[in-house]
Amino acid sequence: MNVLSLLGRNLTQGPYTEPFPFGPAPTAKRFRGRVTFDAATCEGCKICERVCPAGAIRFSKAKDGLAFAVWHNSCVFCGNCEFHCPTGSVHQTTDWHLAHEQARKYAMVEFGLIPNQTCSECGATALATAPSLRGIAPPLSAEEAVTLKSLCPKCRARFLKARRAKP
Amino acid sequence: MLLARNLKRIAARSPWLYRINSGSCNGCDVELATTACIPRYDVERLGCQYCGSPRHADIVLITGPLNRHVKDAVLRLWEEIPEPKVTVAVGVCPISGGIFRESYAVCAPVDQYLPVDVNVPGCPPRPQAIIEGVAKAIEIWRARL
Repeated sequence: MNVLSLLGRNLTQGPYTEPFPFGPAPTAKRFRGRVTFDAATCEGCKICERVCPAGAIRFSKAKDGLAFAVWHNSCVFCGNCEFHCPTGSVHQTTDWHLAHEQARKYAMVEFGLIPNQTCSECGATALATAPSLRGIAPPLSAEEAVTLKSLCPKCRARFLKARRAKP
Repeated sequence: MLLARNLKRIAARSPWLYRINSGSCNGCDVELATTACIPRYDVERLGCQYCGSPRHADIVLITGPLNRHVKDAVLRLWEEIPEPKVTVAVGVCPISGGIFRESYAVCAPVDQYLPVDVNVPGCPPRPQAIIEGVAKAIEIWRARL
């Protein structure tokens, strides 16, 4: 709620008590709460891990891909990850119901996995990250984007080079 | 006589809150003060009240990453609170150390030294989240009585 509208309300109606926890609490639209991660749109650039001041975000190599984890008990909800994410895969929702019993302390983690895939061109195993589409002119068509996503990094570079070479 | 015997069962019992600042930046402490003193949030609706002495307390709220300097004082203070007590870690600092994690000057997380029951993450947590944590702590406290 806007400060001025709050002030106006306080002036005209006097102070009031929010019904929470016996009713819902108002939450700002841009409130920075629980972090969500969308593995389908992640480019795997790991900038979020780099800018996280509390070291709450961690990427780790897994057997079947690249695992993303953010621990909400270390996160300071600064919003750096969302601000720096080039694709908007990291997003802070308005969910602030994070109070929990001690038994769930290490369960307050948001996981994500960027799976491995087999390159449709050369057959190598590589991460199925979303391709970086910035600075590609003319923009890729939908089919081209799907093709590009199914390639390994080397074949992606080759694909884009061949595309640039086209008249 | 009957009333006296059943008084323990009938009484609603109001837990008293006690606040320990273990080297916090004061952000969480401001939110705790907000939760208690501003009629908009008003934690006293849940039947609890802040008290000035650890010997009167039932629920202890710990803020801050447990600095090396205050560690002994905090542990001594915590020992003074009579059982049954419920410990609530407010903010990410006591839970994991937050941005101060792995610093030479802090002993976070607090649960290495004393048993924590409820965690309220946030930097700082908003007043409603603290109320939620206190409500959880009251449930645990009632079960322990």
